[in-house]
Formats: sequence, C-alpha cells, structure tokens
Amino acid sequence: MADKFEPSPEYVARAKRLQDAIELKQPDRIPIALGFGLFLADYGGITRQELYDSPEKALEILEEVTMKYQPDASSGLRATPEPSKLLGDCMTKWPGFGLGPQGSFQFDEHEFMKAEDYDTFLNDPSDFAIRSYLPRAFKELEGLAKLPSLGMSLFGYYSLSNTTALLDPQVVTAFEALTKAAQATVTFNKQMATSTQRMTALGFPGLWFRAGALIEAPFDYMSDTLRGMRGIFLDMMRIPEKLLEAEQRVLKIQVDYAIAFSQTTGLKGAFIPLHRGSDGFMSLAQFEKFYWPQLKDMLCQLVDAGITPFVYYEGVWDQRLEYLTELPKGKTIGEFQDSAIFKVKEVVGDTMCILGGMPIPLLKNGTPEEIRKRTKEVCERVGKGGGFIMTSSVMELEGIKPENIQAWVDATKEFGVY
Amino acid sequence: MTQQLIDAITEMREDDALKLTNELLDNGASPSEILGACKDAMDVIGKRFEDGEAFIPELMLAGEMMNAITGVLKPRMAEEATREKLGKIVLGTVQGDIHDIAKDIVGFMLDLNGFKVTDLGVDVPPEKFVETVKETGAKIVGLSGFLTLAFDPMKDTVAALKTAGLDDVKIMIGGGQIDENIRQYTGADAYGKDAMAAVSIAKGWAGT
Repeated sequence: MADKFEPSPEYVARAKRLQDAIELKQPDRIPIALGFGLFLADYGGITRQELYDSPEKALEILEEVTMKYQPDASSGLRATPEPSKLLGDCMTKWPGFGLGPQGSFQFDEHEFMKAEDYDTFLNDPSDFAIRSYLPRAFKELEGLAKLPSLGMSLFGYYSLSNTTALLDPQVVTAFEALTKAAQATVTFNKQMATSTQRMTALGFPGLWFRAGALIEAPFDYMSDTLRGMRGIFLDMMRIPEKLLEAEQRVLKIQVDYAIAFSQTTGLKGAFIPLHRGSDGFMSLAQFEKFYWPQLKDMLCQLVDAGITPFVYYEGVWDQRLEYLTELPKGKTIGEFQDSAIFKVKEVVGDTMCILGGMPIPLLKNGTPEEIRKRTKEVCERVGKGGGFIMTSSVMELEGIKPENIQAWVDATKEFGVY
Repeated sequence: MTQQLIDAITEMREDDALKLTNELLDNGASPSEILGACKDAMDVIGKRFEDGEAFIPELMLAGEMMNAITGVLKPRMAEEATREKLGKIVLGTVQGDIHDIAKDIVGFMLDLNGFKVTDLGVDVPPEKFVETVKETGAKIVGLSGFLTLAFDPMKDTVAALKTAGLDDVKIMIGGGQIDENIRQYTGADAYGKDAMAAVSIAKGWAGT
C-alpha cells in the first residue's frame, strides 16, 4: 500500500511550506511544526508510562490531536525506553524505568569514563567502548569486560583460541541482552514507520528535517555520556591537551557514522542537540578553544557530504550568535530554545532556517490573548522574508493546556501569511 | 605567604595551592589563617563569576582546591571554625526532576557567600521541604527544576509550605526555563536566572 500511495494535495502543500522555509525562501505562510511528545498522554487521559507502552493508542491520540490542530508538521514520541530497560541503562530514566508512571524522560550524567582513562581511550576508543565503557554504563553488559582485547582479532587464526571468552555466562548474558535490545529497536522502528505512513495518509508530514544520525558537538560527546559535566570542566582546566585530542577522535568517529547512516537510510539529515557550549557554562575564550572549532569542522564536513545538519541550540546563545554566521549559508538548520529570537533572526537569518519562537513558559502560563500577541510579533519579526518555522522552544508540549495550543496555531495561520 | 596562596587559587594553579598550604602549615600558620586566605581567594573568584570573567570550569576547579585544602587542614583543627552565617537556606530539585548541576552551583555560591545551605538533593517531594524547613528553621527555600515537568511540583511545593503555615518563608525558584511567567504560576516569591541572581535575592531577603 505504501508503494502505491500518492500524497494528498494538503500533504504536498505542507511539505513545500516547510521545504521553502528550510531553503531560506518565503513560503505562502509561516509553517508551524508541533512536537506533541508527552502532551499525548495528557490529552488522551493516560499515564506517560501507558503512552510508551501502548504505541497503537499513542498513534490514535497523535492522529486525533493532529487533525484537531492541523499543523504543517506533527510528531509524537520519538524514542522508546525498551532497549534501556533490557540493557539496564544507567544514564537514562523513563516513566516506568527509574521514574514513576507520570515521569518525564531524563538524562542522568555519570563519570563512566574517569580522568585516568584518557590514555586507554586515546589508544583505542573502540576497545575502550566495548570492554570498559559499556560494562560500566549498562548493567546487563558487565560481561563484556571479560572479552579479550579487541585488537587481538587482527591476529587472525592465532587469535581463535580467544573465542572461548564468548562462552562465559556473563558474556552470553550480555550478547543476549544486546540481541533483545536490537529486536526492541526494530519493533519501535516499525511502529515509527507505521506512524509516518498513517500521518502521511492524513496529509501531515513528520519532522523529517530533523531525522538522521543523532550525533553531538565533539565537546558534548565527551561530556554527556563519558565524563559528565563536572569531569569535563575539570579536564579543561587540568588536562586540556588530552581533551582536545579526544575531541578530534570523536569528531571523526561521528562524521564517518553520520555519512554511513545517511548512505544506508537515504536520510539527508543529522540531528545535533548542543549542551555545554551555550552562554554561561564556559568563557568565549574557552568556547573558541574547546567547543566551536570542533563543532564547526564537524558541521562543515557533514555539509560537504551532502547532509543538512539540524542543530538544536539549547539554552541561550545570545553571546555567541556571531560565530554561527561562519557556517555555510542555507546548509544547516537551527532550532533555538531560549536565545533572544529577534536577535537570532537579525544575526543568522540569512545563514540558516530558524525554528523556535514560542517559549514554553508562556504557553504554560499565558492567556490565549498573550499567546496570540507573542505569535503576531514573532510572525512579523522572525518570519520576515521567510526562512522560519514556528515551533515551541523545546519541541515538546507536555503539560500545556489545549486551548493555548489552539490560540498559538490559529494566530500563526492568521499572522503568518506572506 | 598567604598572598601567594590567594594568588595560586585565583590563578587556578592547583598544585601550587596545595604545596603552599603545606608550607604555610610547616611555617606555623594556623588553619584559620589559611581558611581566611581561601575565603579571600573565593571572594575574588566569586566576583569574577558575577562579572562574567570566570565560568563554571573555574568554579569547579576552585571547589576542588577548597576540598583538598580543607582535607589537609581538618586533622589540625581542634574544632571547626564556625563562620557567622547570614541565614539558613533549604535547597533542592523538585519532585520528578533529577537534574542536580545547576542546583549544586547555586548551593556552592550561596555557601561561599555566607549562607548555611541544607541541600536535599534531587527529586524532593513537597513534604520533605516542609519537614526540613521546620527542622532547620530556615527562612529561605530554593527550588530548582530543569524540566517543563518541574513547574507543577514547584507549584505544589510552594502550596505545601503555605499550607503548613510557613508563610514567613521566602521561596525562590530557578532552572533552565524558569521566568516571570513560571514564578507567577508557581506562586514563588522570586526567580533567578543564575547562581549569582540566587545569591543576590537571598542576600536581599537576609537584609544584608
């Protein structure tokens, strides 16, 4: 059925509106993209845990709210807790896994890599990943620590005696857990594909422009899942050269991965949420040494490979917007959380398509009139000339009153017409 | 030599700071003299942080230096030199939210600026705040939260403190997305954009 499917004129119009904005052109109207996220549970009257546990129900609610609000792009849940549960993931918490049934996904930083691990890491990141890092970060993968040095596989015939390690009960457990996690991921991917098909049939695109390999700024990659924020900031002060060398390693690993991912899947994007480079964490001098050159290099390499990176500028970037003008024009997309959005338009409006504009606190606590007023201002000033997609500041609408979303969508359609 | 120690700390020379501490002790300096130098150094770093000249990496390393120096001094101190405190503050990340980084920095800066901080950690239920405020007699409460999800528990915590009759306790909130809208929504007395804002709000309430 999918093969014969012809997108409806409504779908085509919406997709074009989004594509025009991404290409820094002026569409017929400012597109609005709604990432409903955990709002689906609120709206459907079920717990967040039930939402994750019942994909069919989640999809029905997504269809209902999408038809209700009629946005230009729509998405529901974009991740599943199942692999984390199966692997005993120590770095994430989900409703029903580390949190109560009404919890909200959270990332729990740990120092899985210690400062003294840098030499081992730099010597062979892959061996460190499999035999040291995974056993620390996932309870069910502890057995991987018993594997022999991965590099010994290079010894061909002479290394075959090492295969006995695979029979160790803990190693067996680890591989079984990985197989189950892989199956759970395949199941989830099928659910996502079904969701995309049904939403397309209804006439609504998903957030295809942020689909693709999930990667991070080299600094964040070293920070989020390896050293933790405390560790990484002490590394900057104590062992800067090692940190810089490690960043070069993970830059290459990620670029290679993102390009291969794009070739395998046909997706032309990469999603890059930024964390520790925003205002307030480090000085501009530190930013220029540890964060920006590596990120810029990575983005440029991706663009050269035909990928359009979707960068989520979390937090506030007001003091460092000028750097973003160094990026290739029209080749990246930027979603902004709490930066001064009018200033963002002024500085990077001709460098990248901008997403954002509606602060979650206003949606949460504002009146429909206040939301309408803000929407008008954003449409007039950030929407000016095109290159803008209206979204909430976090692409998630949990805890927001339905009438406020309605006021926001209606105002965008009213004031967003070019 | 205490000036040298101050310089070593403010210039982020960690090894020198520890070496100088030991030399000072060998030369007969008292632990309280050395603690005084540490306080002076931290005032300089705190001021730089406030002025946007120092950032989190410097604060983290300064914290490490303070821990190391205190570790050296502890066995030599007959009894903990008790600094006069500006007031007591109960601090925590609200129920359902496990983010601790911003809260820890706020706690560190409040402590540095003379407050006695009781840190309840993360995912703290409203009743725990109420109970601790009653136990400590704190007049200020700091609620931290990073998630959108934190808005409602913040509101509930403010309500719980009021219901418990703790009307004279001032409540400040902070975290990634907190602004005046959310202050109103939660019923808190003030919100702060960063750690220095928290210090200045608390000092205002403490009447200094």
